[in-house]
Amino acid sequence: MSSIELDHVSKLYANGAYGVRDVDLTIAEGEFVIFLGPSGCGKSTTLRMIAGLEGITSGDLRIGGRSVTHVAPRDRNIAVVFQSYALYPHMSVRENMGFGLKMRGVARPVIEEKIKEAAGLLGLAPYLDRKPAALSGGQRQRVALGRAIVRDPVAFLLDEPLSNLDAQLRAEMRLELVKLHRRLGRTIVHVTHDQVEAMTMGDRICIMRDGRMIQVGKPLDVYADPVDTFVARFLATPPMNLLPARLEAQGDGLLVRGDGLSVEVPAMHRDAYAPATGREVIFGLRPEDIHEAPQPGFQRIDVTVVAMESLGVENILVGQIGQGNGAEGRPAEISARLSRHYTAAVGATVPLYVDARPMHLFDPETTRALPRPSLRVLGH
Amino acid sequence: MRRIALHFGLLLTCAAILIPLLWVIRTSFLPEPMSYSPEIMPAFTLDNYVALFTSTRYGQSYLNSLIVAIGSVVVALPFACMTGYAFARFKTSGKGGRFAVLAIQMLPPVAIVLPAFTLFRMVGLTNSLTGLIIVYAALNLPFLIWILMGFFEGIPVDLEWAAQTDGATAWQAFWRIVLPVSLPGIAAAGVLGFILTWNEFLFALVLSGPQTATVPVALASLQTSNGVQIAKVSAGVVLAVLPLVIASRFIQRFIVQGLTFGSVK
Ligand SMILES: Nc1ncnc2c1ncn2[C@@H]1O[C@H](COP(=O)(O)OP(=O)(O)OP(=O)(O)O)[C@@H](O)[C@H]1O
Ligand SMILES: [Mg+2]
Repeated sequence: MSSIELDHVSKLYANGAYGVRDVDLTIAEGEFVIFLGPSGCGKSTTLRMIAGLEGITSGDLRIGGRSVTHVAPRDRNIAVVFQSYALYPHMSVRENMGFGLKMRGVARPVIEEKIKEAAGLLGLAPYLDRKPAALSGGQRQRVALGRAIVRDPVAFLLDEPLSNLDAQLRAEMRLELVKLHRRLGRTIVHVTHDQVEAMTMGDRICIMRDGRMIQVGKPLDVYADPVDTFVARFLATPPMNLLPARLEAQGDGLLVRGDGLSVEVPAMHRDAYAPATGREVIFGLRPEDIHEAPQPGFQRIDVTVVAMESLGVENILVGQIGQGNGAEGRPAEISARLSRHYTAAVGATVPLYVDARPMHLFDPETTRALPRPSLRVLGH
Repeated sequence: MRRIALHFGLLLTCAAILIPLLWVIRTSFLPEPMSYSPEIMPAFTLDNYVALFTSTRYGQSYLNSLIVAIGSVVVALPFACMTGYAFARFKTSGKGGRFAVLAIQMLPPVAIVLPAFTLFRMVGLTNSLTGLIIVYAALNLPFLIWILMGFFEGIPVDLEWAAQTDGATAWQAFWRIVLPVSLPGIAAAGVLGFILTWNEFLFALVLSGPQTATVPVALASLQTSNGVQIAKVSAGVVLAVLPLVIASRFIQRFIVQGLTFGSVK
């Protein structure tokens, strides 16, 4: 009923720079959508266009099927939590939260009731009479959220609301937001450049780069099947290993051969990748698909340890596999996500075991993934 | 050693600024015949102040100055707020418009005072406080616009956006959010405008008559009526400086307050 449709929306700034290019996206009512992308990719701009704070250069924006391209922000009934919180500094928390309802002419007792309800929900009751200046960052953030909630809008647009909180508070608020979404059932668009937020919070992630939306999908789908090397690297830490290589025929199989690298393409992908035989490719494999112990189907690879990072729950091994005749003359490096019990001395050469089934190949020219059936569809 | 030198330098500077003022205050409390005495405080009297208000029109002028200075600021501020805001937020009238405001500010007053006089004589506004208020409002306007533009530019646009998504019109966002938030800035600008007007001499001299003279004009006339009565002039100067001292205290407070503390992270 109140879906948000961006129909080939672009934003061209006065100085000739594109803020957003040709974004085509439909957000269903009640959906929790994440906008993820590096700084300056147009996330805030897109949000501002949805809210009506920024004009649309071309394309159309519809809310609930009705074109709102020329509708003022106040008539869209969308609430925004700004990157800067933007609390009204001269008003108390109570007044901040009540402002939107007051502007809409809601009766005072009703406003009081709603403020009380939202304050209870967000644990703000003790602070209602304070000014924003007398609040901590996390409290301010909750006030900004409360100001949005009391309005009961069709959609919430949240612009990096958690970016200024410390790690623990961020984790708590992440959970709070998800719960809130479940309780209110309202559409939420959440902007972030935090991969954990992106993976855990939303129904769908929209990955943006240079003003374009380059991939939209369920978090696990995007994670499993990135459309290009940018998405492959962006979505996790440590990012997917990307190694320059060549796809060669070997018997009736295929072999990915690069600097210090020789990996057989699993049978399940042979048909899909066969057309690229003989071409330069980029071999992509996530660090968690490199293991410390052999298993049937795994392929051995010898790695010289460059660094070990112990994160407590796991150890990240960064190792050198090549001799230096790889890309840019530097030896190829990979990272592997190993168990916390794994140890190896820096400088030692150790065997690791590659599970090649989730592998990807990318075109080095276009950086786009070579198409292959998704493992998530195959049921692995 | 260096500290001593530093403090000595500071003391010297303070003295250079303060001694003339202190001397004026001292003279204002001396009987006229002793006013050139080299002694520090040979006598004490309030006669000069009494005489200033009983035998001259200084009291009237003082009131005139207050009315004109406050009146002109009150008239100019609303226009300055709206124009300054428009300049800060929108592309209204472009660089040209902004430069024009600055250019008017830089025009030498002598260039405007005679045309203003001719104009005001035609409409019968010479020798009237209304006329002075209008002139000073006009003189203050570019200055106030310029200052306020700076203040408004310093207010995060997010605040207005928040207000607009909260259901406010652009006008309501300005009136209920931007104005209250920039109140310290507006007050500071108003006080500066007040000081500017209080001190203005040229336009007051040309456009006012005996009943509408302002403080600077009245002080000047004290010096010329029967020779220079230095003690009485001193008393006048002390009174003339008083509002400026109070005003500068105000400005300090407003500016120190800061504008948007707590609104953004
Ligand atoms: N008013 C403007 N005029 C010109 N260019 C602008 C303007 N506002 C933003 N841009 C440009 O548009 C692009 C997108 O900006 P936007 O604020 O949407 O980025 P973002 O994805 O929100 O980044 P961040 O994560 O840093 O907040 C940037 O390259 C920025 O420089
Ligand atoms: Mg942003």
